[in-house]
Amino acid sequence: MTKNTHDADVAFIQALAELLRENDLTELQVKRDYGEDDSLNVRVSRKKEIITQVAAAPAAAAPAPAPAAAAPAVSAPIEDDPASHPGAVTSPMVGTIYLQAEPGAPAFIATGQQVSEGDTLLIVEAMKTMNHIPAPKSGTVKRILVADGEAVEYGSPLVVIE
Amino acid sequence: MSTDHTPPEIEIPAGPDWPVGYGRRILAQVDSTNAEAARIAPEISGPEWILAKSQSSARGRRGRAWSMPAGNFAATLVMRPTESPDQVALRSFIAAVALDEAFCAATGRSDLFALKWPNDVLLKGGKVAGILLESAGAAGGTVSHIAIGIGINLAEAPNTGQVEEGAVRPVSLAAETGTRITPEAFLTLLAASYARFEQRFRDYGFEPIRRAWLARAARLGEEITARTMRHEQKGRFETVDAAGNLVLSTDTGRHTIAAAEVFF
Repeated sequence: MTKNTHDADVAFIQALAELLRENDLTELQVKRDYGEDDSLNVRVSRKKEIITQVAAAPAAAAPAPAPAAAAPAVSAPIEDDPASHPGAVTSPMVGTIYLQAEPGAPAFIATGQQVSEGDTLLIVEAMKTMNHIPAPKSGTVKRILVADGEAVEYGSPLVVIE
Repeated sequence: MSTDHTPPEIEIPAGPDWPVGYGRRILAQVDSTNAEAARIAPEISGPEWILAKSQSSARGRRGRAWSMPAGNFAATLVMRPTESPDQVALRSFIAAVALDEAFCAATGRSDLFALKWPNDVLLKGGKVAGILLESAGAAGGTVSHIAIGIGINLAEAPNTGQVEEGAVRPVSLAAETGTRITPEAFLTLLAASYARFEQRFRDYGFEPIRRAWLARAARLGEEITARTMRHEQKGRFETVDAAGNLVLSTDTGRHTIAAAEVFF
């Protein structure tokens, strides 16, 4: 990729970020085709409690053919998929979630809490085996995506740590 | 909890029936054998049994009280398996079939024992033992160790006053069968059975374990209830599938269940 393309890409992404802020959006995803096997896929998102409907505005920001690529997404609500979050801890097995070591005990973690690598986040039970799920890295518990007693599938996002 | 993590060991040589490749520690007293297993897990070189003559804070599944009168059995097998967590969890069934076989060997009465999904061994329909498996995950979705804790009412059953309503009635091996066996002697039977089933699992996978388990299952083909924190599912107990799930057939179809408490 040449320097010019790189600069153009950076400017493009900056423009998207501004759009996000100005229009009070949570997330924006645009694919820009330069040619065969040459495209730019950008997803810009930011933290926000309320999920917003996307207006038609993002399409105007990018030159053709980007508007066509972005079009199908505009009417759908944007959902933050926690499974794709880089800090998501996923379930290694099908089972039942326990947030405490035993009923009545304090929960292993709370949102906003600092955890160290290896700390138990929660338990996934299957076949009467209590599988303690450790923090893969040190950080802050941003979200807890499961409830006590909930059934989870293999790969279900459990906790987001940043 | 004491900060001294080196409980006194009792020196009793393992007999010729002890399985090759398995370590053995016998402790006069410990907080719980599963807790001791978690402490020694990083330093073990192979699978190791820990037997305690007395436990100061024994516990069952989800923190349920587990009382241990003298002469009863409390041991944990600790291992560092390399399989994925769902495969590691199948040790529940290996432990159950091994325990059932050890009971049959000790009493000569295979007709008295039966299995309840996934790992309860029933004696005349009563609760003679409890198995609590705890594994700790490691980075990359693997398991750093698994502790298979087994408590058995060899000599005496706890007071029924301490048992939850609706739970299976506690019984003891001595009272129901007349068999009196020391924890050390029973551990040798159990360790030998476990080692055989573990080897079969490693060589041929879960299928032979599943078949052995089903051959000893209680209420197969009959109506049972599976209860979780949120749901209750009644249905005909069809089988245990290749992943160890309980399979119930109901009016609404087949249901496969990975975690639940089974009631008859």
